[in-house]
Amino acid sequence: MPYDDDSFASRPLDRRTFIRRGIAFVGAGAMTPPAFLRAVFDEQSLPVSTTSALTDAAKRVLVVLQLGGGNDGLNTVIPVGDPAYARARPSLAIDAASALPLGEGLALNPAMTGMKTLYDRGQLGVVLGVGYPDPSRSHFRSMDIWHAASFEEHAETGWIGRLLDATKHEQDSLWRAANMGADEPLSLASRASFVPSVGSVPAYVLQTDGRLPREAARRTQGYVEIQTRQAEALARQAEYGGQLAFLSKTGLDAYQSTVDLQIAAKGYKAAATYPNTPVASALSTAAQLISSDLGTGVCYVTTGGFDTHGNQSGTQNNLLGTVSNALLAFYDDLAVRGRANDVTTLVWTEFGRRVKENGSRGTDHGTAGPVFIVGGGVKGGLHGAQPSVGSLDDNGDLKFSTDFRSVYASIIAQRFGVDPKDVLGQSFAPLPLFA
Amino acid sequence: MALNGERAKIRHLLRRTGFGATPAEVEEYVALGLAGAVDRLLAPEQVDDSAVEAILAPIRVEALQDRQALLALWHTRLALTRRPLLEKMTYLWHDHFATGVRKVGNPSFMLVQNETLRAGALGRFRDLLLAVTRDPAMMVWLDNRQNVASAPNENYAREMLELFTLGEGVAYTERDVKEAARALTGWKIVAEKRDPQDDNPYPTGVVITPKQHDDRAKTVLGRTGRWGDEDVMRIISERPECAAYIGRKLWQWFAVPDPTPAMIARTSAAYFADDTSIRSMLRVVLLSNEMYSPAAYRWRIQSPVEYVAGTLRMLGLAERGGKAFRDTQAMGQVLFDPPNVGGWPGGEAWVNSNTVLARANFANDVTRIGRPGQSVDVAGMLRAVGATASAAQVVDHLLDLVVGGDVDSGTRGVLIEHLGGANHFNFAQAEKAGTLQGVLYLILTMPLAHLS
Repeated sequence: MPYDDDSFASRPLDRRTFIRRGIAFVGAGAMTPPAFLRAVFDEQSLPVSTTSALTDAAKRVLVVLQLGGGNDGLNTVIPVGDPAYARARPSLAIDAASALPLGEGLALNPAMTGMKTLYDRGQLGVVLGVGYPDPSRSHFRSMDIWHAASFEEHAETGWIGRLLDATKHEQDSLWRAANMGADEPLSLASRASFVPSVGSVPAYVLQTDGRLPREAARRTQGYVEIQTRQAEALARQAEYGGQLAFLSKTGLDAYQSTVDLQIAAKGYKAAATYPNTPVASALSTAAQLISSDLGTGVCYVTTGGFDTHGNQSGTQNNLLGTVSNALLAFYDDLAVRGRANDVTTLVWTEFGRRVKENGSRGTDHGTAGPVFIVGGGVKGGLHGAQPSVGSLDDNGDLKFSTDFRSVYASIIAQRFGVDPKDVLGQSFAPLPLFA
Repeated sequence: MALNGERAKIRHLLRRTGFGATPAEVEEYVALGLAGAVDRLLAPEQVDDSAVEAILAPIRVEALQDRQALLALWHTRLALTRRPLLEKMTYLWHDHFATGVRKVGNPSFMLVQNETLRAGALGRFRDLLLAVTRDPAMMVWLDNRQNVASAPNENYAREMLELFTLGEGVAYTERDVKEAARALTGWKIVAEKRDPQDDNPYPTGVVITPKQHDDRAKTVLGRTGRWGDEDVMRIISERPECAAYIGRKLWQWFAVPDPTPAMIARTSAAYFADDTSIRSMLRVVLLSNEMYSPAAYRWRIQSPVEYVAGTLRMLGLAERGGKAFRDTQAMGQVLFDPPNVGGWPGGEAWVNSNTVLARANFANDVTRIGRPGQSVDVAGMLRAVGATASAAQVVDHLLDLVVGGDVDSGTRGVLIEHLGGANHFNFAQAEKAGTLQGVLYLILTMPLAHLS
């Protein structure tokens, strides 16, 4: 046997260094598994940074909550005072009596009681009429535009990915950004930053058959070693379209991130009652990461179902209520931890919907809609201008009043202290979203 | 790497056109030669698959009422079918005409759609497109059953032009979307309960309600007439952009990531020469030089469905098909439940920390010790073929089975070391220590094993 059990002895070695050195080592042509591989099993010996040691700026976190499918903005932030709205929506209009008033003739969907509470506390900013010029009514194209903050076809990086790359030198944890879910959104795609995707914390482990403990440990060891070797197969990149190196690098980072997470996650207990919904549980996982010592600065949550072409009202109210209650629980949890002011949540959707309802008590794809900014540093209340239902574009859709990229620019500049030009490629007038 | 020799080419062909091949299948197709293998793959009706159908029949009855049975039915079929390309194309069309059971609700609608896609998978694209347009599950999924003359619902028309036939913004305008939607008005689903206890009525067809159909003239892609759905699908499928859109997809699924305009022109020519024939386009791709060029070799990242189906097939674990959806779900994919009408993004999007861990954990699960049917008995498998003499023999046999042998000497060295090294190997001891199971785990988790 190549190893004795006692060779897994503790050997303090920074794991980041271990991976890098490991690759270099194999690259030098080594054949037998080197000592550095053993360090990976020595989970407890690693230095872990503590959040309390971070500066206020470094404690700032961005949470993005994406409403997939195109949420109907007009039945979310409702122009209850506008008769043209009621005329366009004979079966779908929500009246002033049941909606939750925000002032200025606008009101929240009746199901959004959680977000109304946040609004009343001054923790919710509503940016009205957010969109972009020459809007696409394709889900995919419009999502890509929002994710990439670019009109380029087939963009390869997202705006958050570029933000991560721009700030990589400040913080190099594998967990500086995390996606709560199985599929990584284009927003997080970067040139140089690994972003873990985590469904649930307990399941985020590399399992090994536990019946024979020695063999189980050797499976993990062999896994790491083969990934390391094939990561070094960069020389053969052209032969495999570069995929071999990509797969193995992800495999290595994934394994290392499981070790980090299981250490950091010990001792988390939600300080608020989260509803039993997927979006609430994703936000609870985000709270867990944020309150750990992993240095997480970005969390991404996606929820879908907003493509309400038929029988919209029950479906949309349900979804909005679910999102709204989850956000309230999230901020209650963060408040107990003293982190509510560090964490800013951005809620967006790829487009609003057609002003006039269709024949199926639903709405077809439209254009501009509201964006929500919650929590950290936010100036609560209404921002920007509500587009007029009386003055539509040629297609019968709302005209946007605020470019979504100026919302991003405000977050990038005011919460991360980065020049928006470095991320968005051009300047946008900042909005007074933050106090 | 260049694909040298007919055997290597046929193994490559089988990786792309199927879901992992068993050693017996490899021999069967190698005996036919490359051209013969392509002929066999393209003529599934000539391959007797009745033994598999007999196994599937009782699962099908359950699948009419139950979503998990619906998943079990297809996963089991993928693990057993003798018509690999037919299944690959059915899977491709499911991804292309992506429809989700979550909105459709009724599993029998999804089953009927799956059978419609299989029946039309290799036929004329025009026929397939019309069949999908009138497919009950699709009519629920993209709301065409609610599309009526008095208030058109343009959901299906838009996605059909953007995703099913031409590509976003290619050759059509917002006006074409609206006009095509009018041509598709008035269709209703007919479904019946075959048993009073049924929760899920079976769709028997669709009918048009003349009063709800917009019978006036429409102009679609520059052609004006009192078009109905069949006319619109014909007009669209006659467009060169449609042939190019479908041809590009076939090149990318089966051959290379970036087909050139000249390659696409070849599939388009086959498409038009044979009345929009999918089979003719496929024949061009599968017999092309590009298909076997270095650029075509092992660049495709297998989807979870492909990885799981291939593993179950190669290891003889079809029994696991009943719960295979849990395995693919952890890796980010559930059949009949695409993320949206655009299908699965695929490629590198399959790979993130969560999904690579799930793949490794699946490999761990199918190589656990002592769970017949759920995990493989590696020692038994090796004994059956007489590969027990040395660590190298064990490793080479398993590498050949899973990845067709092509692996760097460094990785091969690690695998031999896992078995105790070249000089200290003892089959019985390796079996007892679990390292035979372990070495297969390491092979299934190699980055190379995720590429096809």
